[in-house]
Formats: sequence, C-alpha cells, structure tokens
Amino acid sequence: MVGGMAKKPPTLSEPAYFILAALLDGPLHGHAIIGRTLELSEQRVKLPVGTLYGALDRLAAGGLIAVEREEVVDGRPRRYFRLTDEGRGLVTAEALRMQQAASVVTSRVLGTGSAFA
Amino acid sequence: MSAGTHAPAGTEAARTALARRYGRLLLAYPRDYRRRHGPELLATLLETSEPGRALPSWTESAGLVRGGLRTRATVAARGSPWRDGLHLGVLVVASANLALLLPYARSMPLWVGLSAAVVLAVLLGRVRLAIPLVALVGAKAVAVALGRPFLDQTLLPIFPDEIWGGPALYSEGGAVTPAVAYAAVLAGLLVIAADDAPLNRRSWLWWALVPLIAGTDPAQPDLGAGSPRTMTRIGLELALLLLAAWAGHVAGDPRWALAAGMYLLTQMAAVAENLSTFTRQDLAHFALLAFLTLVAAAVPYRTRTQPQF
Repeated sequence: MVGGMAKKPPTLSEPAYFILAALLDGPLHGHAIIGRTLELSEQRVKLPVGTLYGALDRLAAGGLIAVEREEVVDGRPRRYFRLTDEGRGLVTAEALRMQQAASVVTSRVLGTGSAFA
Repeated sequence: MSAGTHAPAGTEAARTALARRYGRLLLAYPRDYRRRHGPELLATLLETSEPGRALPSWTESAGLVRGGLRTRATVAARGSPWRDGLHLGVLVVASANLALLLPYARSMPLWVGLSAAVVLAVLLGRVRLAIPLVALVGAKAVAVALGRPFLDQTLLPIFPDEIWGGPALYSEGGAVTPAVAYAAVLAGLLVIAADDAPLNRRSWLWWALVPLIAGTDPAQPDLGAGSPRTMTRIGLELALLLLAAWAGHVAGDPRWALAAGMYLLTQMAAVAENLSTFTRQDLAHFALLAFLTLVAAAVPYRTRTQPQF
C-alpha cells in the first residue's frame, strides 16, 4: 500500500528553491516571482511560465506556499502567493544544507572555515 | 493618437497573434484547469514576452506542453488508483482486442460491432453492460481460434479485408492468447463492478488508438522481418509504456503501472503459447515490455518516499 510508506524529507529542485527564496520578502504574483527569481539568481534562472505555475501548484499542494489573495489588474487576473511556515522552514534548511556542503570545498580552497558545527 | 499611449499597429497585431498561439499551447492543460487559471497564465506569458514578438519562444512552448501534461497526470491521479488503473487496463486490452478483429470487419461485422460496443461501454464506465458483451465476443474469438462453430455460421479461415492485409484470423498461434486477452477484460470488469462508485469517463481519443493498433500487426508481430508495421507497433508500445512510467513518476500514483501490467499479462500468454517458435528478438521484445512495466511500477513508489518539489 503506497499510503503507508516511510517518507524521506522532501527535496527542492532549483526552480522550487528560487521560488521559495523569492517569496521570503513577502507575497508576489507569477510575473513578479519570475522577475525576482531572475534577480536573485543574477539572471541565471529564468523560469518559463509553464514551469513556474507547475512548481507553484506542487508547492501549494505540499503546503509550502498558499494563495494570499486574488486580484484583477488591467483585466489580468493575478494570484499572490505567500510562504507558509513549513515552506520557510524547508527553504532555510535547504540553504543551510547547501552552505554546509559548499563549505567542505571553500574551507580548503579559500580557507574560509567549515560551516559544519 | 500618440505613440506614447498607444502601441504601433504592428506591435498590437503581433501581440494578438502571440496571445492566440499561446492560447493554442494552453490546450495542453486540462479543460477545468484552463478555465480557472488559463487567463492568468496567458497574462503572465504576455507580460514576460518582449515587445513585437509574434511567435512563442521554444522555452515557453516546451514549458507549457510539459506543464500541461504534468497537470493532466496529476488531475488524472484522483480517486482509487486500483479501480481506476484496472478500468484503464481493461480499456487498453479491450481496444487491442477490437484492433485485432477490425481488419476482419467485412467477414464478421456483427462481432466487430459487438467488440466496438465493449470498448464504448468501457469508455463510458458502463461496466455491467460491457460484461455480457465481452463474454460473448470472447467466446466467439476462442471458438474461431479453435476452429469450432459458435452461435452463427462463420466460414473459416477468416481473411482480412484488402486494405489491411495479413494472415487469416488466429491462423498463427492457438486459443490461449485470445482466451487470456478476453478473460483479463472480463475479470477486470467483474472486479470493477463489485463497487458501485462511478468511474471516470475516458477520452474519445481512445478510438484513434484502435485503427493505429490494427495497422501494426496486432496478432503476431514478426520481429525478425522488422517490417515498418511491426516497428511502428513496438514504437507505440514503448511510447505508451514510457508515458505510463512518466505519469506515475509525476503523480506518484500506480494506476498507469496497473494498466501496463494488464497489457503485459496478455503478452505473457502469447509468449507462453508460442514459446517453441519464439526467436531471440521476440524474447528481447517481451523482456523490454516487462522491464518498462516494472519501471512504471517502481517510479510511483520512489516519488512517494522521496517527494521533490
């Protein structure tokens, strides 16, 4: 029975990570998330619209984000998404995990010290 | 009219054309999803497009098709996976059974019509109507394979209509393969009928699969000869099994694997019945089908135990 299986902690794809990071400063609509993601990743991660809304649907279904409000601006419908506590916790844990993993290399190459306690 | 407040006519025309083309790409999404979120996706697509662009970019087009198919798989994975998977499997095998009879429609129009009625009843979720029909057509198919009369007078061997070509009906192989194919459909329908809950209605596009299978050596693919028809058949099988594995991965749901398993069962019967004449290519073909079915069964488990957002 698939429902009773032991689950490992969820992992975040790069688009999902940047979407959650974009929402750390407050609720945003789809177009603004694309812009913020581009800015945060220094123009590296440009989310196609289909990918963005697919990720938003999955993150909302997983309880990591929620729809804050819906608006119509110049005849264009918009949903504003906000981070939930669970989403904030997961993206923070993922950032720490990556920082620790990065420090394994940077501590030796750049002499910056390990992020592992 | 100042240029500062109104876009040039060419830019406006390009934008209208772009909106129309993105609208077509949004057809990849399920109807209900399009109704609820289509305008929002379209607005975002237009907002992120550079001025003057009339053709959707490859990146956005691929993202929409992938997102649409992914949403379809997620939406389809609602309700009991076991009952719905069985319904899907019954539909696949019933369609394959009809496809096998279709080239002989002129010689046995009544039975081909009844076989089509089985597919229609399954498509509409009318399981109790399909049960006696599939029992009747199955009995006739086995009788033809055994060379025995059943209900009406059918002159044997039954040759295919000219446009299809190929061997006489059930002239290669015995009665076990058709018996298992119809028994699988019948057993599946009986299990489904044990529960009164309504079934999902299936897409009418399933009808398109029937002539496609019928045109690709549905009875005994000759892998050694490697004819275009046989290669198309293998390509179709692989494409559907890969789609089943992908949908199972996306939705973390085993219903497509169950349907694939039902099809594999009918292929196992063909292997068992014709083992003495099977070539290495035939066994490799079956091993590939079995492997992809196992993959389709394993990926939902992995998605559930290790979710990725």
